[in-house]
Order: sequence, then structure tokens, then C-alpha cells
Amino acid sequence: MTQRAHPLSHAGRRLLDRRGFLGDAAASLGAIALAGLLEQNGLLAAESATGSIPPAINPAAPLGARTPHFAPRAKQVLMIFCSGACSHLDTWDYKPELQKRDGQPMPGFEKLVTFQGPSGNLARSPYEFRPRGQCGKHCSDLLPNLAELADEMCFIHSLTAKSNTHGPGENQMSTGFTIEGFPSIGAWVSYALGSECDNLPAFVAIPDTRGVPQTGPANWSSGFLPAVFQGTSFNSQRPILNLAVPSEIAPAADTAARDFARLLNDRHLARHAGDSELAARIASYELAAKLQLSAPEVGDLSRESAATADMYGVNDANPLLAGFARNCLLARRLLERGVRFVQLFNGAYAMGEGVGNWDGHKQLKSDYDRHGPILDKPAAALLSDLKARGMLRDTLVVWTTEFGRMPVFQVGAKGRDHNPEGFTVWLAGAGVKRATSYGATDEFGYRAVENVSTIYDLHATILHLLGLDHRRLTFTHNGAERRLTDVHGHVIGDVLA
Amino acid sequence: MPRARAHRRRLWLAGIAAGLGGLLPSMALADAPPPNLDFNRDVAPLLVNNCLACHSGSDPAGALDLTRRAGATTGGDGGPALVAGKPDESILLDRVRDGEMPPEGKGKRLAGEEVDRLARWIAAGAAWPEDRVLSPYEFTTEKRAGLDWWSLRPPVRPTVPASAHTAWVRNSIDSFIAQALEKKELEPSPEADRATLLRRAKFDLVGLPPSPEEVDEFLADAAPDAYERLIERLLASSHYGERWGRHWLDVVRFGETDGYETNKPRANAWPYRDYVIRALNEDRPWPRFILEQLAGDQAGEDVATGFLVGGTHDVVGIQNIEGQLQQRANDLDDMLSATATSFLGVSAGCARCHDHKFDPITQRDYHALQAIFAGVRHGERDLKPDDYDERLREEPDVRKALAAVERRLLDFEPLARVGGPADAPHRAAVHPLGNVDRFSPTAARFVRFTVSATNQSEPCVDELEIYTAESSPRNVALASAGAKATASGVFADGASALHKLEHINDGRFGNGQSWISSQVGGGWVAIELPEPVEIDRVHWARDREAKFADRLATKYKIEAALTPGDWRVVATGDDRRPYTADAKPETLSGETVPSERAAEFKSLVAERERLAARLPSAGMRKVYAGTFEQPKETHRLHRGDPMQPREEVTAGSIAALGNAFSLESDTPEHERRLALARWIGDARNPLTARVLVNRLWHYHFGRGLVATPSNLGFHGGHPSHPELLDWLATELIERGWSVKAMHRLIMLSATYRQASRPVERAAAVDAGNHLLWRYPARRLEAEPIRDAILRASGRLVLDVGGPGYDAFESNNNYVHVYQPRQSFGPAEWRRMVYQLKPRVVQDATFGEFDCPDASQVAPRRNVSTTALQALNLLNSPFMVEQTREFAERVRTEAGENVSAQARRAFRLALAREPDQEELARAVTLAEAHGVQALCRALYNASEFVYVD
Repeated sequence: MTQRAHPLSHAGRRLLDRRGFLGDAAASLGAIALAGLLEQNGLLAAESATGSIPPAINPAAPLGARTPHFAPRAKQVLMIFCSGACSHLDTWDYKPELQKRDGQPMPGFEKLVTFQGPSGNLARSPYEFRPRGQCGKHCSDLLPNLAELADEMCFIHSLTAKSNTHGPGENQMSTGFTIEGFPSIGAWVSYALGSECDNLPAFVAIPDTRGVPQTGPANWSSGFLPAVFQGTSFNSQRPILNLAVPSEIAPAADTAARDFARLLNDRHLARHAGDSELAARIASYELAAKLQLSAPEVGDLSRESAATADMYGVNDANPLLAGFARNCLLARRLLERGVRFVQLFNGAYAMGEGVGNWDGHKQLKSDYDRHGPILDKPAAALLSDLKARGMLRDTLVVWTTEFGRMPVFQVGAKGRDHNPEGFTVWLAGAGVKRATSYGATDEFGYRAVENVSTIYDLHATILHLLGLDHRRLTFTHNGAERRLTDVHGHVIGDVLA
Repeated sequence: MPRARAHRRRLWLAGIAAGLGGLLPSMALADAPPPNLDFNRDVAPLLVNNCLACHSGSDPAGALDLTRRAGATTGGDGGPALVAGKPDESILLDRVRDGEMPPEGKGKRLAGEEVDRLARWIAAGAAWPEDRVLSPYEFTTEKRAGLDWWSLRPPVRPTVPASAHTAWVRNSIDSFIAQALEKKELEPSPEADRATLLRRAKFDLVGLPPSPEEVDEFLADAAPDAYERLIERLLASSHYGERWGRHWLDVVRFGETDGYETNKPRANAWPYRDYVIRALNEDRPWPRFILEQLAGDQAGEDVATGFLVGGTHDVVGIQNIEGQLQQRANDLDDMLSATATSFLGVSAGCARCHDHKFDPITQRDYHALQAIFAGVRHGERDLKPDDYDERLREEPDVRKALAAVERRLLDFEPLARVGGPADAPHRAAVHPLGNVDRFSPTAARFVRFTVSATNQSEPCVDELEIYTAESSPRNVALASAGAKATASGVFADGASALHKLEHINDGRFGNGQSWISSQVGGGWVAIELPEPVEIDRVHWARDREAKFADRLATKYKIEAALTPGDWRVVATGDDRRPYTADAKPETLSGETVPSERAAEFKSLVAERERLAARLPSAGMRKVYAGTFEQPKETHRLHRGDPMQPREEVTAGSIAALGNAFSLESDTPEHERRLALARWIGDARNPLTARVLVNRLWHYHFGRGLVATPSNLGFHGGHPSHPELLDWLATELIERGWSVKAMHRLIMLSATYRQASRPVERAAAVDAGNHLLWRYPARRLEAEPIRDAILRASGRLVLDVGGPGYDAFESNNNYVHVYQPRQSFGPAEWRRMVYQLKPRVVQDATFGEFDCPDASQVAPRRNVSTTALQALNLLNSPFMVEQTREFAERVRTEAGENVSAQARRAFRLALAREPDQEELARAVTLAEAHGVQALCRALYNASEFVYVD
């Protein structure tokens, strides 16, 4: 069945005209119902136990904006996630010694076995590194446009991951845990802060037009948090699932049916006076109507100027580049409208190892020659655009991947195996130092050796920038007080502006 | 642990459980304290509560171990902490007196009296019985549970309280509930009306709405026991197990895909789901249910051990040892955590890296549990058919007969045609499971298989077989027969153990023993035979174990030679039909059989099938229920790191729960699981019965007497009605652990039958309705919502059991792709408990209703309300289809009259008649936009998805 987006929401418009519903509902609920919900989630108990700060969630508007723990430096987050493990050694982590010792065994690690098998010899990057920006940061030619923005970036070169396998690795970067089933960082942030925007989801995941990343929806899952905090996934090609009214339902019939459902629901609520869940359910149909108007609007890239479209590469001859460019533009439009957390993926796994993502095991150069340009121009345009529009003042940009790659090639191949011992991510925008490099790997880029950092630290830092203490943002699941950072994590003070 | 010590420890724990902090006979030793100071009464609590959080365990702070006298007198980094008779030289006293200990954030400063008491004790000789080892867990503190924690003490059957609400009370449950209400001066609610009770009970017990006819019948039943008979009927229904089985599947995190990046389906995991449904329908006594799930292989319920391996499992092969050990440790953690949370309500998994921070579970306990499961691995197990022994006896004869039939059948396999017209393919398409290339007998010393295209990546061949042209054909390609293999190259230069050149002719099948070329889309492998021989066919496959379908050669040629280089092409794939991903394997299509031999061919095929079905292996059923092996030793892992093993830990129980057992290092694998099952199911276990009755209460009332059904530990909260909980627990045991007896008890209570209407005064006192002054109305879960939609449309298919339906389009990608189905039919119109349950990915319409994704245990579902739920119920393909079906049914059953249609639609969806205003508005809607618009509205009504 095909679904056609037609002028949605006669029902929506009518519902929107009926002003003030949310306010009324919230007023009638009162503090008692709210306390009930919070208590049910173990939040009140949690506060007394360990100093957790329960988000003040209004059950009738669970995505309403909430106050952080302390004054935030950033209000929104854009996370660009390069799926497949983008090599730090061929992008951001310049290792002259590696270039020099190309073809030699890595001293001290001659018999190393990594994820796919035994290691071969050290292999220099096929891409030249040169100084970029005012700061002269050495970055490779693989991503020239992004490299030119080095002055905006705060590199963390000493990140470490707990797993050398994509699934657990992606899980850890997105949820803090290598094992399945934990809430994603975006879900934690929506749970903590809600959203400034009342007609779009608080948390949007934008999968690559080539498909979803390795662990798919686990990256934007709400885990055991209420479903309302999960990421809504859509991109420039695939709208929100079930958003459009199916073509076989006439607009007038749509409106009439929804009005009748509203009548039934109002009467049902009247029979259960003060039931906050039922009020929230009525509100959710209003939010759905709003979403039917606002989501097509935010996804309508034709409203952008030709110059903007060109800057991103929206009409590029390479359909993969153009697809990612459209997703980048969509990300900016979402942030502009106040969406709290945008997770933008570059790379997908359905096509197999290295083909559709950064997993360059066998033929790193030919893989990366393909992937570099797809990422580079659109992402650079996005960062520049955010800066030009003044949005970097409130928006934290995090460029990341699940782990790094080895300085050696794999035996019998011209590619690099997985390496969780040291890799690079960068931050830019709200609250972070510009033109900064923090931490370092060893002379070959194998292991983090200076200011060794964990994904917990990265998450703690992101939450800190949003005004949240990662130790006090908790949710009680099965009696355990869960955190994004488990029992770990330190804010990396040195990257804060 | 040496046996003697283990024994002492058990004695200690038994002593502690019996009378905490009480006098123990062994205390009366020579260095007994003066009469006015008793070590156990006066000193031990001070040490336990203020010092042991840090000064105990394998790595005590400052190397000072204060759990035993020797530790205290020897001291740590700072020297002796305790000097008997000399308070001034005892650092311990010094530090607490200064307030330096306990340090900030770790505890409160000791009161003056407490410091004095310590000083007096030291001055009097610091008597501390030699054998007395303090446990940091002896007492519950402000920060953690001790051995005296309420749920670790055996339930004591309370007296049923007297209640003022004698007219309201129907059974003992009500007395407890009424008593608690009376304390707050609250009134219970009156009984709900009959129609409400019917709908409530039906959804609650079988997860389906009542039909209009059922409503009529029940309302017309004037007998005083109409409700009782309703409950009996529902308890006896085969759909009861489907509803309550789904609850249990949540609790045990049962899923049917592996999770992580590949997230591939487990085709044979469903029998566990069917087992759960069956066992609940049969009301197996709970200890039996426990035993079967932990050790069903020893109890005639093989598939029940699907419980052990119901969780996620990372199938991605890792070559480095750290990664492999970590994956294995994660599997074991999943098994033991699921066991501990589902049956015992304890979060044993929290003691993986260090002693549990909040409950008295040590890291050692954790590893004792780990040792129970150390021989369990993920995977399918072959289950033998009932007549297995007979099949084994017959096997040699059957095999002989089968070989004869297969030889005759091979004559029908069309010969490969080399160089024929490309547009007339006459042979079956290549298939990953296996291919035969038959050709005229030819003398050969060398055979070469050359691939020039694949469906994906480098080609893989799991085994190349070359058969002689003789009456008893031999595979002469085998290395064991003296043949030698060469190839254009090998995947990863042979570095992968799975893919080596020698696997091409080692006689072993499957991806794990295969050759993969070094080249994408091409490569060759050649076999040099020990001597020239007449051959007439080659068999080859990608993966005869049917796990992989990629890397399949789609263009290839087979050449033979007598002298090196003198190659002659004997077969190619060019005369095969084009490869398609969804083709069925067919080595013998029969389509080239001449008509005069068709009957012979047909009877041979039938005979082959008949014989093959008699093989022992053919009777085997594969079930994803885990495999078992005798494990190596288990070691405690320092900080949970598999690379840092410490002392050996043998299989055993959680000491704090009492009645402890500890097994020898070489105890057979299955004995470990049996021992654990018996220990959990023992009536003396303080947790098992409490956890079960609390779970039942949770599902009946939306909230357990303890709000965290899988955690009755320190962070699990206290029971709202502790005496009722214990009364139910003891009642359960008295009633032979019958779950259905407990349902009956609960559902016949006045508490359960209350109306759900709000009462302002009560809401002001107890907004959360913890005291149950009314029945808590609540939203249905994803499964009953979907089932009810199908029920209303009349399309629900009530087939019980068997493989689940797939809510997603099928595909064979290495990383499984989940593309939601766009249209549905009777196969997908089954109850949602029969939906193949993928991890991470959710049903495109109903997953949004807080459906757990089976990655973690889900003892309690969230109820959140989202805009996407609204969009899904309004616009999803499933709903649009069902709305159409619902409208169709209404038109069929109610005829042309719109008013009759509206009334019928209301009754089917909401189990009630519309009132006048509703009817008038419904008729207006249906007249303007068709009854389908009304059906769509009803599906979106709060009343449809809520139960009163």
C-alpha cells in the first residue's frame, strides 16, 4: 500500500484551533496525579536514596520543556555518527611516526590478534595530512572541507571503547552499555529536558539514506524509559512511519472520524475525572495532528535557497552524497525548530562490510575514497551553516563513531581492523573550546596514552554541557537505579570553554 | 572453598538467619568479654555498620580487614588497628574518635556512647571469638540490605485481620485490604457492574474482549455463581496460557533473534514459547515449572531450557581472546541474571564486578551461580524422536537402501551441457545448500573449479566432492583419500580458522569448515587426485548447514585434466537457470525425465523420501534450547574482567538466601542446574513464593504489592501490604504452588471486583491507589490491543502454537534488515503472542505501545502515551486494513440500516450499546462517510484500549 502525503490534517487544523486544551488538562490534573506517576517510576524514591534529580514531568505533556540541573551551556545536540568505525588514522589523528615506519612491524605488538585475526605491519595513511585553519591542526585530505573547519573543533584523541565489535560498540556509543536494551543518549536527554518545540519530536534520528546503522533502532531506543522518549526516526527520503493519512481515506472522512473519536474520548475522560493518562491520550492525538502539519513542513527542503542547497550538495550527481546532504539540511531545519537532540547517521550496514559504511577491513583506500566525499561536503556545509546562523551558540555538535581502526593492516588485506584502544571524536559549538586537541594516542595511534577517556566521560561531558549532572540523571528499572554513564564517567573539564 | 570452611560458613549463615545478632553458643570461649559487654551484641554491629563497607572483601581499604580479629590486630598499611587492652595504641579507636573514620560520604560519625563502648571493649581485652568472622551483610543499614532484610526472612503466615467491612469482605485478601484502608479512614469501592466485570476478567485472564453474545449471556445469567463460573471457564481456556505466557516471556526476556548487529532470527526458538503457554495452561506446580526451565533436559521437557538461552547472543566471530571471553561472560551473565531476577527477584547481575552494593550478594555468589551455567551454550539442540532407538537399529539397512535409490536417481540428473544455447537453461539454478554437476564419465587426475561471479563478495565452497563413475561411487577428492588441494588464494591469507584451503576436502560441511577465495567474485580451487580415475560428477555447496546464503558461485566452470594444464571443461553453470535469492534447492527437478520413465522416477523420489524420513537424523527436531557440555573450572573475575581470573569458585547458591549449597568442582553439568532448580523451588526459599504471588498481583492490579516485581532487594521498595504478601506466599505453598488457585483467590475477592470510578476524597489521600480503594483502570498492552482489533473485525485466527508469523518482510542479509510488512493475511492475523519476536526492532503499529523489545528483562511495562501511537492507530497499513474488515463485518451482520450498523460496531468494539447521543452522532458520521469512518473512530477510542 502506498501512502500519499496529502494536505493532512483538516482534523489537525480544527484541533489546533481549539486552543488551550493542554493548559486546561494540565490544570485539572493537579499535583497529585503527577506525584502518582513519578512515584510509579520510582523517581520520588530515587531522590531520597542517592540525590537523583527526577525530571519534573507533566504527565499530560511529557515532552514539555524542563529545567536542567544547572545553567546549561548548550540547549540542543547534533550528533553525527559515522557508522562502521571511521578510522582516526586516516582523518584526524596525525601520526608522523606511522607514516615513517610504513611496512614495519609495530614494535611490541608483532603477534597481535585483533577482531578479525592476526595483524600485519604498520601502514601509513593513504591520505596526506596538512595543517588546516588558523590553528594549523594536521588533518588528512580525505575530508578537506571538514578539515578547513578545524578552528571550530575540539578534538578528543584519546577516546576508548569497551568492545571491538560493531554491535556492542554502537550500543555503547549510543546507550552507554555494550549489551542490548538500554536507553539511548537522546532518549535520556528528552527524558531529562523535554523539548522547546511542541510540534516535533524531542529526539529525531536521521538514518542514512542507504539504510540503518548496524544496531539499527537500538541507537535511538528508549530502552526501559517510557516510549515517549524514544527517537523518532525519519530522513529526507522516508517520512515518519504512518504520518500521512492513507490516500483511501478522504480528508473529510478523516476529520469526521477523528472528531468522533474525540467526542468518545472526552466523554470517557469525564467518566474518569482527573485521570492524567486519559487526558494525555487526548493530548497525544492533538500532538499527532500538529506533527502531521509540522513534519512535512520541516522536511520540505524546497524552501531552502538554491545557494544553500548547493552548499550542502543537495543536487550532487552522486546520489549518496546528495542523500546525505539532504539529511544534513533536514538536521539543520530540525534544530532550527527547537528539536532537542538530532542524531544524524553517516553509513549503513545492510550493504555489508565497508561497502556502505566506514568498516574498511580489506580495501581501506577504495572504501574511503567512496565514503569521504559523501560525508565531507554536506557535513562541512552543515557545520558552517550552523555557525553562520548563530546556532552554534546553543547547539553542541558531536562527531563520533563507534571505535577506531588499527595502525597496521590486516594480514593479506589493505585495510585496518577494529581498534577500541584509542580513537578520535570531536565536539564543536556551544560550551566547548575551539581549535583544541585533548588527549593523545601513542606514536602509531594504536592506544590512547594521554588523558585516556571513556565513552562514559564523553557522555558525562555532553550531559554537563546540557546542564545535567550525569550522576543525578537516573531512572529506576527493576530496582536498579540506571544512568547513562552506569557507575562511571567524569566530565572532561579541559574541553569546556 | 575447602569443604570444612564452606560448612562452617553455612552454619554461620544459618545461625544468623535464625536469630540475628543473637548469642551463639560457640561464643563462650576463654577470652569471653566481661559480663557487661558482649561482642555480638555490643561491638559487632558497630564494626559491621561503620567499618566493613570498606574494610572487608578481597581488596580491603588500606589493606585493613576488620572482618576478623587477626585482621584487626595485624592491621593494614597504617599498622595494627587493634591492640588488646590498650585503647590508646589502637589506631581504630583513634580514627573514630577523631571523626576521621568513617570518612566523609561513607558514613556518619560515631556517637560518643559508641566510641566509649569501643574503648571499654578494647580496654577489657578486645575479646573477639577466634572463629567469629563478621560479614558486612549481617545487618541492614541506611545504605544497604543485610541478611536481616525483610524479603530474605522466611514468610511467616500472619493472622487474617478482623475488618469492619464484614459485608464487603469476600475472602482473606479483602480483610488485609480493608484493614489498610480503615487505617486511613478510606472506604473500598462497591462492586463493578456485570458487563465491566466480564470485560475486565476476559482481558485479564485470556487477553481478549468479550463478544456481544458473551455479554448477553453473562448479563442474562441470574445464578448467584455466574461470576465464579465465568472465572472457572476462563481459567480452563487454552487462551489463558497465551495471555499469561506473554507476561512470563517479558519477565524472562524471551526473544527470537540474536540481537546486536546481525540480529538474525532464531528459526527454532518458538517451542519455548509454546512450552510456557502449555505449562501455564496445565497449571504446573511452580517448582516444577522452575525445574523444567533450568533442567528440562533432565525432566522430560527438553524445549523448556529455551529459558536459559532466551536472551541476546552476539554471534559475530571475534578472533582475539579478550573479545571471545567477554562475549562468553556476557552470555553467562545473561543466563544467571535472568534466572535470579525471574525466579528470585534479586539482581544478582549487580555482583558481577564487585560485591553487590545494596544487597547481601557477594561477587563470589555471582561466580558460584555462573559456575552453575558454565556448561550451557547458546545454540540449537537436536531433540530425539520417541522411536529413536528403533530408528538407530534400522539405520544401517535404511542407509543401504537409500544409497541404492540415490544411485538410481542420479541417472535422471541431467548431464551438464557445455557450450549449448545460453537461452535454454535446463538445469536447476545454483543453490547455497548444494549443487550436483553430472557429466559423461571422463578420466581425470586433476579437477578444477573456477568461479567468475558470485551473488556477493568472495566465493565460498564448504566442500568439493568428486565421485567416481562406478557402481559404488567414492568421493576421491577427500584429503584422507590422498587428494591434494590448491587454490588461486585463500581468504585473509588463511589467517581465519574458519576459512582455510584444507577445508575444501576435509569431509566436513558448513561455513565453519570452508574455503573462501581471496578475490571478490572469483577464484579457483583445484584437486589433484592420488591416481587417474573415471569420474562423472562433482558435488559442491556454499553451506550445507544452511546458515549462509551469500558468497555463492553463480558463474563457474569445472574442468578435468589427466596431465597438468591439459584442461577440458566438463561442466559450467551456464546451462542452469538464473540464480535467484528465493529459489528452492532442487538437484533433481525431473523435468528432463523422458515420459516413459516418469513413473519410475516418481516412485524412486517417493522411496527416497520415505527412506530419508526413517533415518534417526530425520526424526530429530532442532530447538533453540541451548547445548550442554562439562565445563572447565570457574574463576572469580577481578572487576568482572575475563582477563583477570582469580581463585576458583565452584557452583553454588546465593549464601544470603539460606539453605545454601555448594558443589564440588567436578560436579556434572546437569547436576548443577538440577541443584539450583531444587534450591530455588524449595519451600524454605524466602523469595520464590513471594516473588510469584507478587508478580500475579502485579498483572491483576497493574502494580505489585512490591512495585518492582523482579527486585525484592534494597532498591526494590517495601511492600504496600507486607502481611498480605506473606499470607499469599504461604497460601501459594499450601495450595501446592498452583498458579490458577491464586488467580481464583484474587479474582474472586471483593478487592478485585471493585468499580474503578474515581473517589475524590480517596484520591486526595492515596492518589496512586496503592491501598486499592478502587480497581485501577489501565491501558491494555500492545498484544491485547492488536488481538482486540482483530477480534472486533472478526479476523482473529485462534490457531494455537507452532512457528510464529513474521511482521517483517523476509530477507537473508548478514545483517538482518527489518522492513515492516505492508499487507497482512490470515497467517498474520494470529494472536500477537505468536508474532516472531525480534529484538530491538518493534512491530510497526503496536511496538510503540511500550512493547518490550526482549533485550532486557521487562518485569513491568511502562505505560506511556505518544503521538506516534495515535498516528499508528489512525494510519498504519494494518489498521487501515482492519478498519475495512471491521466495517465489512458490521455491514454483513447488521444489514443496511445505519443505526443497526452503529450499534453493532459499538458492541463489537466496546462490548456495550451506544447511548443516545453517541448513537445519533455515530449515525451522522456513518451516513456522511460510511461505517468505516465509525469503525476507525472506535478503534481510536480510549475506551477501546483501556480496561475499567
